[in-house]
Amino acid sequence: MRIAQQSGERIDRDRPVVFRFGETRIGGYEGDTFGSALYAAGLRTFSRSFKYHRTRGLYCCTGHCPNCMMTVDGVPNVRVCVEPLREGAHVKEQNVWGKLDLDVLSITDKVGGPFTPVGFYYRTMIRPRRAWPLYEKVLRNLAGLGRVDERGGHSRRYDVEHRRARVLVVGGSDAGRAAALAAAREGPGVVLVDEGPRRVSELTGVEVLTPARALGIWEGGLVPVDCGTVLYRYRAERIIVATGALEQPIVFPGNDLVGVMLPSAARRLIRDFSIQPGERAVVLGADEPGLEVADDLQEAGVAVQRVVDLRETPVRELEAQRRRGRVRALLVDGEEVACDLVVASGGRQPAYSLLAQAGARVEFDSELGVFVPTTLPPGVEAVGTVTGEGLQKIDVRPKHAGRGKCFVCICEDVTTKDVKRAIAEGFDSIELAKRYTTVTMGPCQGKLCQLASIRLYAQEVRAYESDLGTTTARPPWSPVEMGLLAGRHFEPARRTSLHFRHEEAGARMQWAGPWKRPYAYGERPEDEVRAVHESLGVIDVSTLGKILVEGPEAAALLERLYPNRFADLRPGRIRYGVLTSDGGRIMDDGTIGRLSEELYYVTTTSTGADSVTAWFEWWNAVWGYEAEIVNVTGALAALNLAGPQAREALQRLTEDDVSDEALKYLDAKPLEVAGIPCLALRIGFVGELGYELHCPSPAAEFLWDRLVGDGARPFGLEPQRILRLEKGHVIVGQDTDSESNLLSAAMSWLPKLDKDDFVGKLAVEHFAEREPLERLVGFVMEDGVVPAEGAQIVIEGYPAGRITSARRSEAVGSVIGLAWLPVERADDGTRFEVRVDRRLLGGRVKSGPFYDVDGKRMRS
Amino acid sequence: MTLLDFLSPSRCEPGTTASPLRRALADADSAVVQDLWPDGKLEVRGDLGLVVPRAGEELVQLTPRRGYLLTQDDPADVVARLREVGLLAYDATGALAGIAIQGEQLMRRLTDLDLDELPAAGPLLSRVTAVILRDEGERFRVYVPQELAHDVAVAVLDAAAGLANTEVRLKPDPSESEGGEVA
Repeated sequence: MRIAQQSGERIDRDRPVVFRFGETRIGGYEGDTFGSALYAAGLRTFSRSFKYHRTRGLYCCTGHCPNCMMTVDGVPNVRVCVEPLREGAHVKEQNVWGKLDLDVLSITDKVGGPFTPVGFYYRTMIRPRRAWPLYEKVLRNLAGLGRVDERGGHSRRYDVEHRRARVLVVGGSDAGRAAALAAAREGPGVVLVDEGPRRVSELTGVEVLTPARALGIWEGGLVPVDCGTVLYRYRAERIIVATGALEQPIVFPGNDLVGVMLPSAARRLIRDFSIQPGERAVVLGADEPGLEVADDLQEAGVAVQRVVDLRETPVRELEAQRRRGRVRALLVDGEEVACDLVVASGGRQPAYSLLAQAGARVEFDSELGVFVPTTLPPGVEAVGTVTGEGLQKIDVRPKHAGRGKCFVCICEDVTTKDVKRAIAEGFDSIELAKRYTTVTMGPCQGKLCQLASIRLYAQEVRAYESDLGTTTARPPWSPVEMGLLAGRHFEPARRTSLHFRHEEAGARMQWAGPWKRPYAYGERPEDEVRAVHESLGVIDVSTLGKILVEGPEAAALLERLYPNRFADLRPGRIRYGVLTSDGGRIMDDGTIGRLSEELYYVTTTSTGADSVTAWFEWWNAVWGYEAEIVNVTGALAALNLAGPQAREALQRLTEDDVSDEALKYLDAKPLEVAGIPCLALRIGFVGELGYELHCPSPAAEFLWDRLVGDGARPFGLEPQRILRLEKGHVIVGQDTDSESNLLSAAMSWLPKLDKDDFVGKLAVEHFAEREPLERLVGFVMEDGVVPAEGAQIVIEGYPAGRITSARRSEAVGSVIGLAWLPVERADDGTRFEVRVDRRLLGGRVKSGPFYDVDGKRMRS
Repeated sequence: MTLLDFLSPSRCEPGTTASPLRRALADADSAVVQDLWPDGKLEVRGDLGLVVPRAGEELVQLTPRRGYLLTQDDPADVVARLREVGLLAYDATGALAGIAIQGEQLMRRLTDLDLDELPAAGPLLSRVTAVILRDEGERFRVYVPQELAHDVAVAVLDAAAGLANTEVRLKPDPSESEGGEVA
């Protein structure tokens, strides 16, 4: 229930806000959180625990514990105690089987304890091994932290913003604010990050970010700050950590019951939201702030039944008793105190995790009874209670006596019994025990359980906390949405200048490396193949890598990069080239056109532009030739006009002479086509008379439209694959792999071993000295079935090779392809078998092109 | 027609060329983003000390021997001019798409480069290498490979739209907190 207006309350009572909780409409006020509005409406059980499905209620009201996690508008694990209320939102419980007040799986709390001790899943459910996926599914359904909406991808916009700060202060405490103001007096560039939900007053000269959470401190002063749907990546010259101290729970039986909460929770319900947290309360405290909450409770109308100062009154036995999952009384050394609210704090522990992540040394301060940072890394400072300053000595040991479960870690439902069992099983290091019990690995990330678990550990193994140390603090310090870490969904595709023309023409687009390319424009790629053979086709080959090599020593550079010769290539002519690695393996291929004495135009495979450019630059850095290497792939579009009518079609669009005498096979020549300056390369990858027209990218659509308007039929990648296969042309990377060399790939004519040097020459010489083990050959299938690329070739019952390409060719009248075979089985006409759908089907080696064997069509 | 004219959109007949961004930016708010098509861009190799930018030209030096010259003149003519003084120059107008972006906060959502240390070449949206320049005030020019430009522009517009929905309060309402530590 709401109480009278409190000074400084956060809610605006004149602005009601309505939302849905399940199917119920709930009202709150502007300034409320979902948690406060639900609490004010009478809800006490907010969730069910991770493992035992015990009832859980508001506990910290600072967004640290897991008790108030709910699903809000489809987003799971929202801590409703700090999530601002918004109109029309839909809130649902999570990890509940049944209802919040009646969860059938709470049976595990009653009977499951002996059967589900800590780490039970490591020992049970491991046989039969095949059943583990089933076990895992069951376990994940029973225990969990909400369910991610798998269809909710990209439903929210997440952004990353890169910022710089001279001084970044984390924490809006008194000390943090004072540090920020002091830094601001020295100059601009001061930022203060505070997680709220309390407001931080405007500070002169300081940019205040709230509500916001620093997730960690990385090298170079990098501090990511979670601001909901924006992740601020701060680079700070100075980082001041003022994260204060965290109230620590007391470990006693029933310490997780609904109605047990930390002083911070009670204080915030009263002061910020004007809510009376209960009717009858017991206050247990180990320091002044923990005890002062009794005054707040009384002012809010709560009957404070008893205040126990743990510093003065050593308590031997403590137990919360329950009725229907809620606290009904507290037993203090045998005396029962009836209550519906237990406000308990075992003192405060410095929130040092960010400092530890940054490299600070953290040690146990036996004077204070807590862990404090001692040595700080350069550029990182700490102020306020995070250093231990102002804290009072606390020594609240776990109180084990009693019948109820006694929780060390409420996130993971780890009890004192679990920790003792882990120790008994030999997990005698705090780090190992952490992994085994999962204590500190839950949503609070140790904020509420690390100190308690270390104390318990020390008590059980009879060691000092200082000897045990702490577990490693790792980012993120606060839970963060996966979407925020993933950031903006940005998977840019490389699109040619004709991309949208292809889409408009109904092309099925597919990924080809980093590019989007048209697979085919119709249902039957064969129709596009026929158009190229019989009349005229055009394909977008803009994805080819295009590199200019220019300079007085450009010829010498290429001569040394490629196994074949380019110094003797005449200007205006083109030659095929294959790049070899240092090890003589095939890297990439393409054509090299000499445009002038000092200027070459190199094309590469579609995926090879960047790597070949880097390869050229790397070697030229070694050799130091006077030659510049310029990647012009993006500057140019390329269209391959192919088919028997290609010359006539081209001639209609240019005043230049494109006759066979003026533009011979393997000529490179500048042309103006339809008003567009082009470099025409007369080459024939698809086996027909063809012209690659390389032109400025911005003019590609215009040129494409003219060619298509003039009768050229667009064809896609799939028809091109059929066409090149008919010619037996190799695709590097598909028909070759990182082990293939020129000699085994049937290109023994290419390397010129009499050259002084080229990259990989020694290795190629080595290959030449011995017979290759396998060879790339063409083949024809006997019964018309197309084997899958990669299909296994079987000879005499043993795997002996593989298919690299296979297609049905209407022009050839059979299924053709390329395959790697043992060299002794690679002769023309040799029969082999291919495994297709568990059958062995026959094929025969066929050397040479399958179509237009003497190459007359492309040279016509 | 010279050997390298096939690189130059300016050598195409008028009306034959189009911006790679025209679809992505068709409905964009020009106060936030503008298509810089067809600003001239040249890639220059050699002793960049020989480059004497004229009015309307701007040299972005990437290395001592490599840079971009941005020009308002016909890039093909500028290529010829630079080659006359012994440099190697290539018309990169078609290679790079240009976007003018208004707003420093928007830029901070696009790149982690120090916006006070521009021009520079670096990552845009983490995955694209861009040349970024800063004009007067909060106007920036971003040049990216044209083949990625469409997706980049879509992402820039989305980031701009996201700014309007920023949930974080940069300047909270003045109200005194109650003291004590905030964990």
